[in-house]
Amino acid sequence: MADEEVDVVVIGSGAGGAPLTSVLISAGRQVLILEKGPLLRTQYQAPDGVSDFKRDETFATGSEKRITIPGMANLGDSFYSSHVEPDLNDEPHVYEGDDGLDRATIEGYTAQVVGGGTQLYGGVSLRFTPDDFRLASFNDGRTDLRDDPAGDVRREARDWPISYDELEPYYCKAEDLVGINGTRDGQLKPASEEHYQTPLEPNPISAYAAAGMDALGMRRYRTPLAVITADHAPSGRTIPADRDSIKTAFVNRYGDPLGLKSNTWVSLLSPLVGKPGFELRANCVVTHLEGDGATVTRVHYRDPTGAARSVKAKTVVVACSAIESARLLLLSGQLDPAFAQRANPNGLVGAYFLTHCFGGGQCVVPLPGRADKSKTLDSDWATDHCATPEFLNANGLWAGGAIYNNTSDGALPISLARTWQAADMDNMWKGYLSDTELVGAGFEKYLEHNFGRRLSVAFMANQVPQRGNRIELHPTVRDKWNRPVAYIRKTWHSHDRALMRTFADQCREILVRGGEVSDVSSGSVEGSVVRIANHVLGGARFGTDPQDSVLDKDCRVWGLDNLYVTDGAFMPTSGGANPTLTIQANSFRVGEILLGR
Amino acid sequence: MGAVLVDKDDQYVLNHCTRFLARDSTDSRHNFGQYEPEDLRAVVCEAWRFPVVDSHYDGVSAESSYAYNDVTFVYDGRVSRPESVEVVGSFGDLFAPVPLRSVRFIGEDTGLHTVTLRVPKAQLHTYKFAVDGRYQLDPVNPQRSVADNGQPWSRFFTDACQMPLVLSRREREVLGRLVTHLLPFRLAENRRSIQKAYDELDHAARGEEFPLAYRLDEEVGVVNYIDKVLARPEQHNADDYHACLAIIDGLLRTRNNGIDPLQLPIEDYAQLYAEMATDQVEGWDTSSYGSPRYFLLLLRRHAMTGAFVHPKAGGNSGAAGWSYLEGRFTDEQGQTLFDWRRALEVPLGHNTDYRG
Repeated sequence: MADEEVDVVVIGSGAGGAPLTSVLISAGRQVLILEKGPLLRTQYQAPDGVSDFKRDETFATGSEKRITIPGMANLGDSFYSSHVEPDLNDEPHVYEGDDGLDRATIEGYTAQVVGGGTQLYGGVSLRFTPDDFRLASFNDGRTDLRDDPAGDVRREARDWPISYDELEPYYCKAEDLVGINGTRDGQLKPASEEHYQTPLEPNPISAYAAAGMDALGMRRYRTPLAVITADHAPSGRTIPADRDSIKTAFVNRYGDPLGLKSNTWVSLLSPLVGKPGFELRANCVVTHLEGDGATVTRVHYRDPTGAARSVKAKTVVVACSAIESARLLLLSGQLDPAFAQRANPNGLVGAYFLTHCFGGGQCVVPLPGRADKSKTLDSDWATDHCATPEFLNANGLWAGGAIYNNTSDGALPISLARTWQAADMDNMWKGYLSDTELVGAGFEKYLEHNFGRRLSVAFMANQVPQRGNRIELHPTVRDKWNRPVAYIRKTWHSHDRALMRTFADQCREILVRGGEVSDVSSGSVEGSVVRIANHVLGGARFGTDPQDSVLDKDCRVWGLDNLYVTDGAFMPTSGGANPTLTIQANSFRVGEILLGR
Repeated sequence: MGAVLVDKDDQYVLNHCTRFLARDSTDSRHNFGQYEPEDLRAVVCEAWRFPVVDSHYDGVSAESSYAYNDVTFVYDGRVSRPESVEVVGSFGDLFAPVPLRSVRFIGEDTGLHTVTLRVPKAQLHTYKFAVDGRYQLDPVNPQRSVADNGQPWSRFFTDACQMPLVLSRREREVLGRLVTHLLPFRLAENRRSIQKAYDELDHAARGEEFPLAYRLDEEVGVVNYIDKVLARPEQHNADDYHACLAIIDGLLRTRNNGIDPLQLPIEDYAQLYAEMATDQVEGWDTSSYGSPRYFLLLLRRHAMTGAFVHPKAGGNSGAAGWSYLEGRFTDEQGQTLFDWRRALEVPLGHNTDYRG
């Protein structure tokens, strides 16, 4: 076929790639999206009338496979991935454990499908607080930060090059166009426009979390969730006649066959289909970028059969999730030292990789409180109580976070078992299987005690940026395209640990104060370097100083005129909430910047 | 009746191919013990997904569609570039050949060939491809069977298949005893609740609500689920079952002075389970299988899944596992606290928006 040339190539169709595409196409520009994963359609979109997403527990966590990658400490271990997560043997991420040994992991991947991680996420769509954008300023001069003997936190904290107020109009735009339900009153995050749809009735089990928050004086609001609860004009989506039927436990880790969950495909991209200038190529993986001086000229990719192709582009946007975006820049640089010099003069690509400090508490509610947890969305109540300056100063913490209750966890019988005492995705099933007392009458007791009675409260908070936390190319492990895979190197800072203990205690208190609950436990990911929650951030942070950042304020790579990065990689700090809405808002912002090119 | 063709667009076919087939690497990355060392299928990711068995929708209702699957055959001709590809199999008239069409991407031929047929659920079929007139097995699908005349065929089965494929009658019976101990359904009270739910349906409702309930017994279809998992996605675990069920069968017989283990009370299986949990089983032949506990954990995962999986996977027979939870947990007004039917497709569930 003839040499193709397009205006803008966007790599990835998730939260970072879709919003700016919608801006560009609406303004009459030309965009080609290259998406590694398949285009899985809803029932109303599929020509055959059935969706590739199912309400089937084996879709979220599939059959057993085993790690066969030579040199991994977990060689031979079982893993269970969803139908749209990458196969670990074909495209592993490798991390370095506390013991210095390398292991392959499912953690840190989002989803390889049109819509990316927004297809599988729970839909929690919180804004960051104004202070999340200015943590260097917020901590300037403080001497009370706990467990930070070397002053790392103040040294490494960064203000974003944009303020909350600058991003705020784009938060509004994202809330409008994506389609989100929730309530505003009680949030620490001011809004200039109101676009939330009305939330559905909370699951009755959430009353315990609400009571606990109230008892502690924590202002609460209905967790903003990217699920439509009313007809959504911007995307043309409609809801079922029985509005309450929107609530099913097939939410978190499931794609939605009805398209009610507001993933970026149904909310932002499918409305563009048929518009001039828009093309989406699914099942196409980008292998590397080619540059000429200060310009990226060509995007090289494999088509759905694996054949090598390339396309010329005037502008290139990388948005294939932070780990893979850093990897793509590093791989391109490995093939062309001149590109590496332009894109990565200071070795900052991949550095300051971030996830979130997260964890929470769990309990069993008293018997009269047993609820039908299968009638639920992912979360009902949230509070910003632990993001206020008063709370942070009282606790010697550098940054805050959000706390919200989970409702869909363990709602279905198989998911209750496979997540039983499972600390992370790599350990799915292990807790239940090795608890061999859960048999016969013991199994009966387990169901009686837990089914419909487990309640959890989670926190999501900022992680201290550290240069040593980074994405590299693995020296030996290669993917199915014979390209080096991403190598995740990360640790927790001592201040992160202090922060996580404080937040875990808060979650615990919410449960303890919520009623006559039992089996209360709490904890965090401080003991696990691999836990990522699929919140992959940083690695190509934006800033005002080319010596200290990979991207400028516009999310353009400093040394290249026409290369942008718009997934979570741009974040210099990870924010005190789930990141998707902020990635979407920023992508809308960059979309408008690209209109000016 | 001849084979009924179903239209699937190229996007659908590529969605079900790229992730599994497309690659440069020729490493056997996907051999977990189910293949010989040089088997090319070990290069393919999740080769068991071919042919693709999916839900069917007739454009009218989920209810009238429920009895069928869509089965999509793919022949990978990227290298050989054949002129014509057909599929012949037990699903059509007298093995009449059905032509495959070319799959295109941005207007260009990909080398992939495909056709989708409507096939009733709960069936087992054999097929071959005719590639430029020459018959061959599906090179990707790991499922094979041997016909009475000794000829090998490729094989597939549709949802809720009840025909035994991997485990022998004896193995299934021993396994059934073990599973009955693992699951709560053995308790008399619970067993009654399942039976009651089923008995309360009149004959027509049984057919309508539980069209796939071929058998309803204490193990709620778990043994059949395991048989189907071992036939398709977890072929690599089949030898574990063959080896361990033989050991267990022999061991129980020896312990009980030659009494047939199938005649033993459930307590003998409970005792064995407890020993397996400790990995120390008196009389276990460790030379033929090293760790009884390893097998026990494998069985625990399969039993738990098989009891509560969507019935199309062959377990949770007649949705008995879900019905058990539905009846077991109710509020003070007697309303269920596990209303699984509201999310799932008719006629299995009550949801008329979701089609399965």
